[in-house]
Amino acid sequence: MDEGKPLFVQIAEQVEASILDGSIDEESQAPSTNELAVFHRINPATAAKGVNMLVDKGVLYKRRGIGMFVAPGARGLLLKERRSDFAERYVQPLLAEARRIGLGPEDVADLVRTGAGAEPAKP
Amino acid sequence: MNSVIQVRNLTKRYKDALALDGVSFDIEQDAIYGLLGRNGAGKTTAMSILTAQNLPTSGEVRVFGENPYENARVLSRMCFVRESQKYPDDATPRHAFAAARLFFPRWDQGLADELIDDFQLPLKRTIKKLSRGQLSAVGVIIGLASRAEVTFFDEPYLGLDAVARQIFYDRLLADYAEVPRTILLSSHLIDEVSNLIERVLLIDDGRIIMDESADDARALATNVVGDAAAVERVVNGREVIHREGLGRVASVTFLGRLDGAERAAVVADGLELAPVSLQQLIVRLTQHRSAGRPGADGFGSNNSGPDSSGTKSPSTDTSDADTQEGSLR
Amino acid sequence: MTTLDSGAALQHQVPRNRMLNVVRLQFVNTQTFIWVPALVLGGSWVLSMMIFWIIGGAGVTEVKAGGGSQAPLWYFLAIGIQAMTMTFPFSQAMSLTRREFFLGSLAAASVSGLGMSLVFVLLGLFEQATGGYGINGYFAYLDWVWAAGPFAAGLTYLTATLFFFTIGFWFATIFKRFGALGLTTALLALGLALIGFIALVTFQEAWPAVVKWFTDTGALGLTLWAIPVTGLLAAGSYFTLRRMPA
Repeated sequence: MDEGKPLFVQIAEQVEASILDGSIDEESQAPSTNELAVFHRINPATAAKGVNMLVDKGVLYKRRGIGMFVAPGARGLLLKERRSDFAERYVQPLLAEARRIGLGPEDVADLVRTGAGAEPAKP
Repeated sequence: MNSVIQVRNLTKRYKDALALDGVSFDIEQDAIYGLLGRNGAGKTTAMSILTAQNLPTSGEVRVFGENPYENARVLSRMCFVRESQKYPDDATPRHAFAAARLFFPRWDQGLADELIDDFQLPLKRTIKKLSRGQLSAVGVIIGLASRAEVTFFDEPYLGLDAVARQIFYDRLLADYAEVPRTILLSSHLIDEVSNLIERVLLIDDGRIIMDESADDARALATNVVGDAAAVERVVNGREVIHREGLGRVASVTFLGRLDGAERAAVVADGLELAPVSLQQLIVRLTQHRSAGRPGADGFGSNNSGPDSSGTKSPSTDTSDADTQEGSLR
Repeated sequence: MTTLDSGAALQHQVPRNRMLNVVRLQFVNTQTFIWVPALVLGGSWVLSMMIFWIIGGAGVTEVKAGGGSQAPLWYFLAIGIQAMTMTFPFSQAMSLTRREFFLGSLAAASVSGLGMSLVFVLLGLFEQATGGYGINGYFAYLDWVWAAGPFAAGLTYLTATLFFFTIGFWFATIFKRFGALGLTTALLALGLALIGFIALVTFQEAWPAVVKWFTDTGALGLTLWAIPVTGLLAAGSYFTLRRMPA
């Protein structure tokens, strides 16, 4: 794990990814801070920071004495957030690279349409 | 937070060199600290004084609120694993662990047995005849299984191969998660430990030049690469800690981060931004000795730098302390 | 924030028996504390016996007492040196105070010294009963040591072991703390003091008086003198150790 993002953000994103792809259901138990720390080989305090970030966001909530659980509606929340981030995270770098190699926005749109057509439709 | 160790104006002078120069810092309870710095920076001296194995020239040290010197009540709650620990001549690892069991009240024999197994340590061979890595394993096992409330590891990995070091890191983390305690780990292998530690204490020439959470330290500096003129426009007015170039391309590392708008502008300019790893940052901050201190001068002259301990004075070259730590052991 | 308050005294007890556990730590070096002394003792006994037998074979029938029995006592010098150099760094790794290490090491030496003096007393009693193994040869039963009986003899042997142990321990501490130069200086100072004493006695023409004092005081008297001297040596080595870096 070494991108530009802080470690605890990366941890939070990994948990989010598991919720988005359905490997952790809503209302089921999320991995504990210590489990995350040992699995990702990071300091438990860093893992706790990631978990707390998700709690603040309303993705996880704490059941006293038991542990962290995925909040109802967490998946919808994350999807909404991801969609609104999509332009910044993917479209802008795409357009920047396109500009660099001399492709206009229309060319990119064409390529996107072709790419989407070539790819088997998702259910 | 609760500090288990408090150090104020600690100075240690050896005959010809200043190993610690008025150092002050606190160590919070139940956290893993990375005590980082070059050879001879003063790491071993600091740990020796905290465990009362060495005596300060001046300044104050409190561990659990008391002076640790000749203080069995305090010492029995600490464990210091030295890089080159000496053992009694006839001792085998079995003897060493039996002794540790006598003296460390929270010793966990089950953990010790597992670690012996992990490191495949021969128990009945005299320690004199062990390989360097096996010798290190003895220290690592004592340090972990003692479960002392404050444990110091001074470069405990000498001679351990990558696999054995990973065992050490994994076991350290797993046992720390189970039994939280205060751990100070000094290491040169910064990349290997940077994710394990919660806080960084960077010591250079006998002074603390960084006392930060590891997360903050990792976000302390930014690297920008690209057309030299464009790069210079970006870093203009910023605190540059490293600069290198190849033809018209420059790579410059500066303290601080860019906000979203600045970031977008830099990317639009065709420049590349890269995070600076803890290891890179520390190399940049402490490499002055071999490179005429280009980084440290700029760094030391700024009061808003990462020097939150407030102990660092503008750099004045003291005599080279590289050798004295080794020669005095 | 330049000074620190002493924090509230925490409710932490010093674990018990740390000092006694130092004895166990020292006896990890079985070679130093048990086997080599046993070998020196046994070896010097065998050599003495052979010499007595050779001299006896040559027709000498009067009392034969060898100096060989001193060897195991002198060996405590070596034990003192090794107890210091081998075990002190490890005792620091075991988070012991210097005081605990020092007192524990002294206790370990006392155990070893007691064992040694017990062997000497038993051998001496045996020699006394058998007329020197029937050949009038004495290893442990030396007239002047035994003048005040077996207990006094035992005390003399024990004091001798501790005396030598403490000297060895102190010199090793001086060497570790101040290096070869420090040790040499200390030895030279000691030599000078001895020469000064000899000169003083010689100039005062007091040798007969000195010799008389030694004979009059006897082994037990000398032992009683040696006990406080050993105590002083012990105090000296403790204060040298107290401020020594590991």
